[in-house]
Amino acid sequence: MNPSLSLSPREAWLPLSARDWNLDAARHLLRRAGWAATPTAAQRAHDRGLARTLDELFPKEPPPFPEPESIAHLRRDYPAMARRQREGTEEERREASRELREQSQRAVQDLSLDWLQAAIDPERSAYEKWSLFLSDVYVISAEKVRRADFVCEHHEIIRRLGAGPAPALTKAISRSPAMLLYLDLQNSRPEAPNENFARELFELFVLGEGNYTEEDIKEAARAFTGYRQNNGRFVLQQRQHDAGPKRVFGVEGSFNGDQVIDLAYQQPAAATFLPRELIRFYLSEYPLDETYVAGLGDWWRAADFDLRALAHRFFGSRLFFDGGWRGTRIKSPVEFYLGLAVDLDLDVAPLPRTVLSSLRQMGQELYQPPNVRGWVGGRRWINASTLSARRQLVQYLLRPIDTARLNADEVAALDAAKAAGREAFTVGPERLAQMNQMSDEQIADRFANYFTPLPATPPTRDIITRHLAAAQSPTDRTERVRAVLTALLQSPAYQLS
Amino acid sequence: MPTSRPLLVPTTRREFLQWSGRGIGLLAFGRFAPDFLIQSVRAGAPLPERDRRILVLVQLAGGNDGLNTVVPFTDDAYYRLRPTLGIPASAVLPLDDHQGLHPACAPLHRLFGEGRVSVVQNVGYPNPNRSHFRSTEIWEAASDSDTSLDTGWIGRFLDNTCQGSPVADALAEAPRDPAAVHISSEVPGAFLARDSHPTFGLGNVRGGRRGREADLALLESLTEHQAHDDHGNSGFLRQVTLDALVTERRVEDLIARYRPEAAYPKDNFAQSLQRVAALISAGLSTRVYFVSLGGFDTHNGQANTHERLLRTLSEGLAAFQSDLTARKLDDQVLTMTFSEFGRRPNENKSGGTDHGTAAPLFVMGSDVQGGLLGSAPSLDLKPNADLSFSTDFRQVYTSVLQDWLDAPAADILGAKFGSLPMLAKRLRS
Repeated sequence: MNPSLSLSPREAWLPLSARDWNLDAARHLLRRAGWAATPTAAQRAHDRGLARTLDELFPKEPPPFPEPESIAHLRRDYPAMARRQREGTEEERREASRELREQSQRAVQDLSLDWLQAAIDPERSAYEKWSLFLSDVYVISAEKVRRADFVCEHHEIIRRLGAGPAPALTKAISRSPAMLLYLDLQNSRPEAPNENFARELFELFVLGEGNYTEEDIKEAARAFTGYRQNNGRFVLQQRQHDAGPKRVFGVEGSFNGDQVIDLAYQQPAAATFLPRELIRFYLSEYPLDETYVAGLGDWWRAADFDLRALAHRFFGSRLFFDGGWRGTRIKSPVEFYLGLAVDLDLDVAPLPRTVLSSLRQMGQELYQPPNVRGWVGGRRWINASTLSARRQLVQYLLRPIDTARLNADEVAALDAAKAAGREAFTVGPERLAQMNQMSDEQIADRFANYFTPLPATPPTRDIITRHLAAAQSPTDRTERVRAVLTALLQSPAYQLS
Repeated sequence: MPTSRPLLVPTTRREFLQWSGRGIGLLAFGRFAPDFLIQSVRAGAPLPERDRRILVLVQLAGGNDGLNTVVPFTDDAYYRLRPTLGIPASAVLPLDDHQGLHPACAPLHRLFGEGRVSVVQNVGYPNPNRSHFRSTEIWEAASDSDTSLDTGWIGRFLDNTCQGSPVADALAEAPRDPAAVHISSEVPGAFLARDSHPTFGLGNVRGGRRGREADLALLESLTEHQAHDDHGNSGFLRQVTLDALVTERRVEDLIARYRPEAAYPKDNFAQSLQRVAALISAGLSTRVYFVSLGGFDTHNGQANTHERLLRTLSEGLAAFQSDLTARKLDDQVLTMTFSEFGRRPNENKSGGTDHGTAAPLFVMGSDVQGGLLGSAPSLDLKPNADLSFSTDFRQVYTSVLQDWLDAPAADILGAKFGSLPMLAKRLRS
């Protein structure tokens, strides 16, 4: 259920007036555009003003993401391993396939952990979440692609071009080696054009269902024949490319792939498709009245489909800051995890078994969306088992790591991370004990106004102070602080943003 | 105004059956009757035999050293591979003329002698993966080593057998028993399912019951008093959370009231098994339990660690089995161990062993066939080579699913694997 809006569709997307920019608005922006709103970050954003904050969140030149070493190794070792896979004895071939698969799987793990760690950096949070949003549109899956270096490259394309014009991004995506493999362009040839990519291009990337015909797909598919990759480098194989005349959206011409993408963006539906996805990802799982969507879409088309401009318009708009949205959206597992990391000032533990399994149990495995549609989200994130996984994650993060249960790889990974200056992976008793200097009321205020999107109700504050007041000793109080924090982070209010 | 809950509601099937023997039927409890009671009444209580069969999975996390668990004590190659770690033939507890258990496994050896433990030898899968994370995933998903699935084998079993009961759905207030329970800090990947099942985790054993009770009460009161909108997401989350808490409180209560009929050791592992025994003896309709014992990643100084772990494992399992036997529940429960991989046959230079491949596993229960199953691994190996498995782990799963849980194994595992004579003849199809 969406809140009823008092704004007219015309004024909805106008920039928020300066007098409505307050600390609460700043928190809402940081929570929705990023992962969390710490008091320091909210105050800073508030002091800088909305326009400068948006410039920081969605910069012209987003910071690059350093690729994990294992990705570079895979890219380097691949040709030799592939040769062994082709030319070796039966046994060597099997061994080479196995090695490749394992190397790629490990690299995807490294990529996931590195990305999570990068994404909690306050200077990157919003833009990395933006890439997560775009990768939920331009979906690929590591499971099908099987090359971690391609998966990494695909996301690098999104990161590099995600702040520019959408058609340029879509064109680059059509050449992304991971996409070629994921949507089967790799074998598409004039005698048998593969329609998979053309269909998803129209249905899931640019227009949405119902805005193209089957004929359009068939014809468009011909334009993408001959798209190939060679160890990650895109090549258009002229001999496999159908350069003949085609008819797409009622227009005739000897179109190539890029021209088909340009034609798609000329369709009326292109203006509203991505804005609608944006609204669904950031604002509400329930569809917003189409007159509002159309308002944003018309504006975006006039802005030449610029993605950064769209982000600024949306996150700066009166509609986005309408009070009715606060605390209504269910956090995805990634948002929940990273929100906890930011709120508790923790680094991401370099432990796949803990971090990646937890995400998986909560229902979201990075680089492994359930299907080409991506994650649907909303209430579907929540059921008895995923909720229990969320609760267990909170418990895990509020206790010291149980080192007796770690295996040797994990001990080594933790040591390496510590050597690199990262060591706060969970909240230990020492940190909780620092709160013993605060009064029960101060803690209740801090907890109640810090973590949850809506201010705590008076009974909630009472529950917290009463629980703390019963403390028998400093150790007991620390334990009670932990218990209160655990319950609060497990409670429904913290699942929402 | 909701009707108040009757004072006396049976919380277990056992209690219910006792009560119905005294003429108090389901109607007396109205909509407060737990799901399993309604199901059993619909089916004409008691539940059919196969619905009472329970599987307890015991994970040996880290990769258990198979060769020092089931020791080929007449094979010279073993002693060449294990110059310092080898278990002397004189210390081994013999299973047959060639294989014997590590001396720390005396309680398991006794159960083996009584025909209540089967040892499945040399279990693994093709193209083994030596990453803890990935190999655990393979065991949990029951997939080939080159595919990853987003569901686990237990999750698919639940998808296959636990279609929601219309009566239970109508009685939304009736607390539903968890379909599967894990006592570990992480939800096992094996439980991941396509449909949503009420699975339930007890987390780690740390913290006393009173502490846990207080934590639950705190979460419950926060949930109740937070601002919410009945039709919105906050109301939805509140409902799901409160439902989960009802189950959790019930489970905690059953565990607290439990008086075991065997002396369990004080360690976390044995205590976890005691909790499983509590829930089984309460008659929950839960079909699968999951318990984990970690620390098997013995790269250095293996001898003492491994001995301690095997002792913990054996004593815990033996206490659990004797508790179940004393309560005459042993015919309802099958317990099975697994580990993500075994270890390298040759020991390393640090008095430990590195990641390997196949390893034996234990199956325990009063209805097992007993004895050694499958064939022992060949130790005729090139330097630093790994064992080649002889029994696919999915054959073990097939036997469990088909012969014990009465479920269509091939549908759940996605392919047909030959079963093993793990269970007593009368149970095998």
